[in-house]
Amino acid sequence: MGVLRPGLCPGLTEEMVQLLRSRGIKTVVDLATADLEEVAQKCGLSYKALVALRRVLLAQFSAFPFNGADLYEELKISTAILSTGIGSLDKLLDAGLYTGEVTEIVGGPGSGKTQVCLCVAAHVAHSLQQNVLYIDSNGGLTASRLLQLLQARTQDEEEQAGALQRIQVAHAFDIFRMLDELQDLRGAVAQQVTGSSGTVKVVVVDSVTAVVSPLLGGQQREALFLVLSVLLVCCSSPGLALMMQLARELKTLARDLGIAVLVTNHMTRDRDSGRLKPALGRSWSFVPSTRVLLDSPEEAGTSGRSQRMACLTKSPRQPTGLQEAVDISTWGTSEQSSVLQGEQT
Amino acid sequence: MQRDLVSFPLSPAVRVKLVSAGFQSAEELLEAKPSELSKEVGISKEEALETLQIVRRKCLTNKPRNDSTSDTSCRKCTALDLLEQEHTQGFIVTFCSALDNILGGGVPLMKTTEICGAPGVGKTQLCMQLAVDVQIPECFGGVAGEAVFIDTEGSFMVERVVDLATACIQHLQLIAGTHMDEEHEKALEDFTLENILSHIYYFRCHDYTELLAQVYLLPDLLSDHSKVRLVIVDGIAFPFRHDLDDLSLRTRLLNGLAQQMISLANHHRLAQVGNIVQITKPERMHSTVSNHSQKHI
Repeated sequence: MGVLRPGLCPGLTEEMVQLLRSRGIKTVVDLATADLEEVAQKCGLSYKALVALRRVLLAQFSAFPFNGADLYEELKISTAILSTGIGSLDKLLDAGLYTGEVTEIVGGPGSGKTQVCLCVAAHVAHSLQQNVLYIDSNGGLTASRLLQLLQARTQDEEEQAGALQRIQVAHAFDIFRMLDELQDLRGAVAQQVTGSSGTVKVVVVDSVTAVVSPLLGGQQREALFLVLSVLLVCCSSPGLALMMQLARELKTLARDLGIAVLVTNHMTRDRDSGRLKPALGRSWSFVPSTRVLLDSPEEAGTSGRSQRMACLTKSPRQPTGLQEAVDISTWGTSEQSSVLQGEQT
Repeated sequence: MQRDLVSFPLSPAVRVKLVSAGFQSAEELLEAKPSELSKEVGISKEEALETLQIVRRKCLTNKPRNDSTSDTSCRKCTALDLLEQEHTQGFIVTFCSALDNILGGGVPLMKTTEICGAPGVGKTQLCMQLAVDVQIPECFGGVAGEAVFIDTEGSFMVERVVDLATACIQHLQLIAGTHMDEEHEKALEDFTLENILSHIYYFRCHDYTELLAQVYLLPDLLSDHSKVRLVIVDGIAFPFRHDLDDLSLRTRLLNGLAQQMISLANHHRLAQVGNIVQITKPERMHSTVSNHSQKHI
């Protein structure tokens, strides 16, 4: 909500702003919540003028309610479903990644999260001919692997190069850099930068945990934090605020620009029960609308080494507990599809 | 575009004052002048100027610009550019062909490699070998770089490095002998024991504060010595195991350290090698320490 400035709306003059500020009313929120009779008496402004001013400001700054039917119509037109290129994963995701939503892949180290991201990027860039923004925060992106995936799809080198050019890569190793990249994306779309051959349809963030986990945590050892604050961006509650900033930015980006957002998250061990659970806590668990857990199966034979079990743990459309077996060495080519109805986790 | 002030790396004191003055988003600060801002908010002129610079530098990319940004924070490239970069960069050979095979040529640059194992299995030996191997001249297939060795356990033995360096020189002399090339001869002249040892920058860290401080100071060191291609941290988990009782703080510090190192590896085009001693304690502690490292071998 804006700071009150002269010219913010018709009727708000410089002297009004100064008088209001002298009484402690600096922002639109302050004015909207103040008792106007009192303000009129103290500031010497007319009550009518203040009421009119408030009405104009509220009209300018409030959100407009949307009719549900209109919203549904708009979503039907604007939402696209982008296949991930992996048949069994598409089954879990109800045909693919939905634009306007955040989808999360969770798993322990080596479970295949980055491979999923690379496969999605390669598929969207090549088969769907759309641009992808790949934000890499833990160094897992190797272009040689992308090339391998593309070579499995097409032998034509021109097509491979074209697909690689559609994947924009950004390295963001801390949260401020990541927020900058997302802001740049907004700016580029707003200006419709003609450098790229199309608009970005998928944003892949690999991984969110890498930039957020250094910020979250306990309130102890404040003194240590003051010493190490240059490394750690101070204490926990701004950390949580930053995480929620990122969450908000990702969700509004998905919704406003009609983009599908794919993020990856790590696993962490629950301190009390010792079980593995997705990192970043409960606050983050409300952010993605769909969550897929990748797990390595128990047996570690030669065939089992590339096998992964993908389990749907959160979805707005499908029942949770759906499981699919995926082979990460042969994404999208010859996967087995055994749909198991597991219990809810 | 509206962007909250929380999402900028401002100092907390300044941020609190800005918020209490009613500023919430970056757009409101765009038109302000430093002197006006410092009066309104109650911060010094230098702080106001710094704040505006931070906020404007990010917001400037929204406005049309015809010159390329001087700030490298918005450095984007396509996957094709990245592929070309990857093809041209070299590997640091380990002189163990089996290991080089698994690694796909050797220890890769711009990535972080982690070596873990039980005590006594040879991790420090491998690190010392890599510190010598990074200096192999380019005509022999090396990266001709220098090395930074950060030691937390005190297991670095100079005498052993002398042995390794001497063996490496002899090996290269054999290769040069078969090639009979002037280029190889010239490169070998510089590849002497004194040069090898003088290009390994050694730091000893006794606890985790020193380690964190050392990693924090690395960017300055790397800009002074731009030929460094390898940073080794021998015993990355060692200082964290003993002094820290607070597990969540440890995880946080390790995560921050990991990110710092990955960022350094990426920006300065070096290889990072970290050593972890395998913990033989209960499983929970093991996973907490190795949880931070989502790296590749």
